[in-house]
Amino acid sequence: MSSAPEIVFAGTDGGALTELAAYEAVGGLTALRRAREMTPAQIVAELEASQLRGRGGAFFPTGRKWSFLPKPEQNPRPHYLVVNADESEPGTFKDREIMLRVPFRFLEGCLVAARAIESTRVFVYIRGEYLREFEVLVSALEQLRARNLLGDVTIVLHRGAGAYICGEETALLESLEGERGQPRTKPPFPAIAGLYASPTAVNNVESITTVTPIIEMGGAEYAKLGVEDSTGTRVFSLSGNVVRPGNYELPHGYPLRDLIYEVGGGIADGRTLKAVIPGGSSTPILTASEAEKVTLDFDSLSQAGTAIGSAAVIVLDDRCCMVQLGVRVSQFYEHESCGKCTPCRVGTRWLTQILKKIEAGHGTHADLDLLLDVGDHVNGTCLCPLGDSDAIAVASYVAKFREEFLQHIEDGGCPFHGTSSLDGIVAPTDVHEAHAGGAEIHRPLEVVG
Amino acid sequence: MSDLVKLTIDDREVEVAKGTGLVETAAAAGIEIPVFCYEPRLGPAVGACRMCLVEVEGMPKLQAGCTLTAQDGMVVHTASTSARAAEGQKGTLEFILVNHPLDCPVCDKGGECPLQDLTFRYGPGSTRMTFPKLTFDKPIPVSPLIALDRERCILCYRCTRFSSDVAEDEQLIARNRGAYSMIATFGDEPYRAPFSGNVIELCPVGALTSTQYRFEARPWEIQDVPTVCGLCPAGCNIRATTREGLVKRVQSRNHPEVDGGWLCDKGRFTFPHLRSDDRVREPLVRGTVGLEPVSWDAALDRAEELLRGAQGKIVTALSGSETTEIAYGLGVLLRRGLGAHSAVLDESTSAALDACRAPLSTIGAAELVVVVGDDEVVDRAPIVDLWLRKARRAGAEIVTIGARGSVPAPVGGAAEALRDLAAADSELGGRLRASDRAILVWSGSGGGGGARLAEAAHALGFEGKPGCAVFHLPARANARGVAEAWAAAADADEADPEPIGLLVVSGDEAAGDPSVRALAERASTVIAITMFHSLAVGWADLVLPATASLEREGTAMNLEGRVQRLRRAVTPPVPDELAWLSKLAERFGVALSPHAAVVFEELSGRIYGGLLLEQLGEHAGLPARRPYEAPEPTPLAHSPEANVPEDHFVGTLRLLRYTPLFSGHQVERVPELQFQRPEREVALSTVDADRRGIATGDLVSLRSNGTSVELRARVDARLVEGVARLADEHAAHLHADVEVVKA
Repeated sequence: MSSAPEIVFAGTDGGALTELAAYEAVGGLTALRRAREMTPAQIVAELEASQLRGRGGAFFPTGRKWSFLPKPEQNPRPHYLVVNADESEPGTFKDREIMLRVPFRFLEGCLVAARAIESTRVFVYIRGEYLREFEVLVSALEQLRARNLLGDVTIVLHRGAGAYICGEETALLESLEGERGQPRTKPPFPAIAGLYASPTAVNNVESITTVTPIIEMGGAEYAKLGVEDSTGTRVFSLSGNVVRPGNYELPHGYPLRDLIYEVGGGIADGRTLKAVIPGGSSTPILTASEAEKVTLDFDSLSQAGTAIGSAAVIVLDDRCCMVQLGVRVSQFYEHESCGKCTPCRVGTRWLTQILKKIEAGHGTHADLDLLLDVGDHVNGTCLCPLGDSDAIAVASYVAKFREEFLQHIEDGGCPFHGTSSLDGIVAPTDVHEAHAGGAEIHRPLEVVG
Repeated sequence: MSDLVKLTIDDREVEVAKGTGLVETAAAAGIEIPVFCYEPRLGPAVGACRMCLVEVEGMPKLQAGCTLTAQDGMVVHTASTSARAAEGQKGTLEFILVNHPLDCPVCDKGGECPLQDLTFRYGPGSTRMTFPKLTFDKPIPVSPLIALDRERCILCYRCTRFSSDVAEDEQLIARNRGAYSMIATFGDEPYRAPFSGNVIELCPVGALTSTQYRFEARPWEIQDVPTVCGLCPAGCNIRATTREGLVKRVQSRNHPEVDGGWLCDKGRFTFPHLRSDDRVREPLVRGTVGLEPVSWDAALDRAEELLRGAQGKIVTALSGSETTEIAYGLGVLLRRGLGAHSAVLDESTSAALDACRAPLSTIGAAELVVVVGDDEVVDRAPIVDLWLRKARRAGAEIVTIGARGSVPAPVGGAAEALRDLAAADSELGGRLRASDRAILVWSGSGGGGGARLAEAAHALGFEGKPGCAVFHLPARANARGVAEAWAAAADADEADPEPIGLLVVSGDEAAGDPSVRALAERASTVIAITMFHSLAVGWADLVLPATASLEREGTAMNLEGRVQRLRRAVTPPVPDELAWLSKLAERFGVALSPHAAVVFEELSGRIYGGLLLEQLGEHAGLPARRPYEAPEPTPLAHSPEANVPEDHFVGTLRLLRYTPLFSGHQVERVPELQFQRPEREVALSTVDADRRGIATGDLVSLRSNGTSVELRARVDARLVEGVARLADEHAAHLHADVEVVKA
């Protein structure tokens, strides 16, 4: 295990702080008290000093995001803080653990953040499947309310209904407003016209939770953790073929190799590392040798042609068929495409179809070219990053493991012959037939009058 | 001007007002940015189809051009100068066509299809898609009027946006997600709403088609005739598509000031009544065994005989749906030729309104709108309802004063409400007075044809403010033009026509009007000019076939006071009214041209201020306001104003009849429109329903003076107490006071 300081999970000692008294016993609510003596501008300044960058995946500086919101005197509409707890990027499961184990630190962060943007209205949009997490938050909120700690702030916990796209901030806002969860065009950005066309800050659970220790310790102090451009710690969701998968809070800049072999206990059963997806399914894949060299921070991963994303490290050993990986990942995006913009709606499905054809051994060299070309037409033409993610991920599998794709084509089948570790994992879109329209017959119309 | 910005598109410099959409900006420079989902009338751009991808210098990714507005110094490259944009667009079009069935040869849209056109211009010649296309059950009847082909649908969401953001009926939705997204209605209920047909025109592919037009014609064998809808006083501009002498469909001919490019379903789908089985196709004379067809010569002989026989004791019942020229022709014959000056018209329109007239589009920009009257705006002039919704979306406050108003008022209380508004101590009146963008609308009967409204607007100081306007919604399409034409046809005072020797019933609205029927009881003889047998039988001595507005040349004056030109879309199966009116006039020694244009020339100087036909143009303008003159008593005898009963019995409810949008002799003759007609139900206020133990859906009995009607009750929380509201067509012979009991 790492001896790095815990920031997000500080004081938990591996457990959960779900009682307010226990949280206060480890220094909880200090940040809230301090923040209430600070002006909003001072809080934002502290955040800017911490150089905290968004933990949801886009890595946008949190303090700067808040500074984009107009002052209430510039825009009299209500200001909103919306917390994105719709965690659903494949491989990512950090926010659920944060909500389960440090719900008060998270809610305290909400109150501090609300003060920073001069808002009294907070919405937490929580993934629908996160029922336990929701209940923990409900309980924590009740405890805060019972102690009158919310001040004039209203925190609403809103459960999503099972759509990955609602993790995209504007789709989330649409969904929160009761509309179909589909992204909006930007501009206007949420800071200017977000929820109900009002100034809105949308932040990830981990970002908001980190606000609390930043106010406690001071931004400058926080910035000493981690590395340049990637300050502080990060909760990494380690999954895949490792001995000890799980969430690990580590400072940015931590070597990926060490995460896998030291923290995660290495690859199981004496197998060898084949590839790593370092930041959730949307990020380009790294080969084993690339993975050995990188550190887990923005710069190092960017230089390696990928991204830290949501810090979901998916480890793949030598049993993984890369074409199957493409099928599974692409199916996910196909299934989760909202259907609003053409390239994503059509392209993700087409990519999946081509990948399936190659996996089944019916692919040709032209299909491989087509796969990349279709991806090129998806990437960069969509309304939001969902379609791009599919195209980028799949393109990286082909770029790094082209030989394996060619093997499928030239040998007319999967070289793993049914032994791939991904074999038999059924993706949701498999249930769809090419004929999507169930019989719908209108009830006979009553002729009136 | 300071709010102009200069930008470069495809190396061409263009200067436009800041904030102009990029698509429009490019068009101004003669450059096309192709679009499917973009339609500014539906609200902000959604950027869904991605057909409009452009490269903007300084922006790393391709941008959806439709979502951008012109900014100073912007440098834009469309597909014609940017390889990246061209590649992006090519890809998008390929995607759009991946699941599209390409069944153009059997698709109604083929030949006038934006997808087909843009594919020809920008698309790949072949597809690389080798997998089975996604299929759906089809066509799905979205309603009896609209068929949905989900395979052709490219999910531009124009139709759902219209439904939710323009008509606000919230009935069309997208269901499912991703590739399996589909357009649907909630619970697969039929799309039943007053403006549903607009989605057919909005659809950029053949996904939403008109059941009336399906497989009826191809674009290269049709002729579109620009004319004006004659079914309500709004006068929406339309195109009638004809093939081989038959009207096949009606589409909008966007007049931005009148209709904004929308049409109601009555205007769009009612044309099949032209081909109704019971259409009168030849003159009929009452013989020994009912009405018998006769030759035109015999009919005119009989007409002359009846006209002479009445010795000037003639009353003319006008419909208000005639063209101004026909009404003038009737006036020339009857008033000039026979000295028969008496006429009735259900509702006329006061010329005093001209002091505060403005285009209907003014409503869309208003900040405060007050609607008085007991009728729903959508029932009287549907397009006005869309302007009101537009205003409200833009933040306007809409106050309705009436039996179902946001401010409840007793039935028939509109005139009093207006007087109150104009009074010095009225809070709302004060705000109307202070506003530069205030609108008053009269939606109901009575009120001296808008004279009360004009008085109120005058008192509120609307005349000097171009953003303030009044709109009176008369019951009949050309009420104003008909009344003025009749008045202008001769100078003489009305003489007492009693006892009535002859009643001339001009048109179907008059023929269907119970008060005209009552008048006929007192008349010795009746000439009915009507389109339909059922409106002629039983009372007419002579029936002369009428034409429909789609078959007429002429002009009409809409509720704004705008003179618009009707063009003959198809040749009527009978000679038009002016043809035989001129022949009859000759027999009485007065000159009347059979040509509408000539009649127009004569009447224009008298009522249209000397307007020339060619000045009406494609989209007629609205004449300037005229100085306010206190309204004179109108030359026409009115049917009584909203009659307030004197003897209101305890326990009875006041019957409030209304004429639904989907009613009338034209609608009745179009089977596919029947589902739009009102339910057989009576609306009761919550208090009245509770008092009687009645709940929505209960069968109730309405009784008055020995007649009774059974129908379903609906509890209407908006309805004022003491009222039973039901459609005319269900009210039968009920009197003003009704007892309502649970059946």
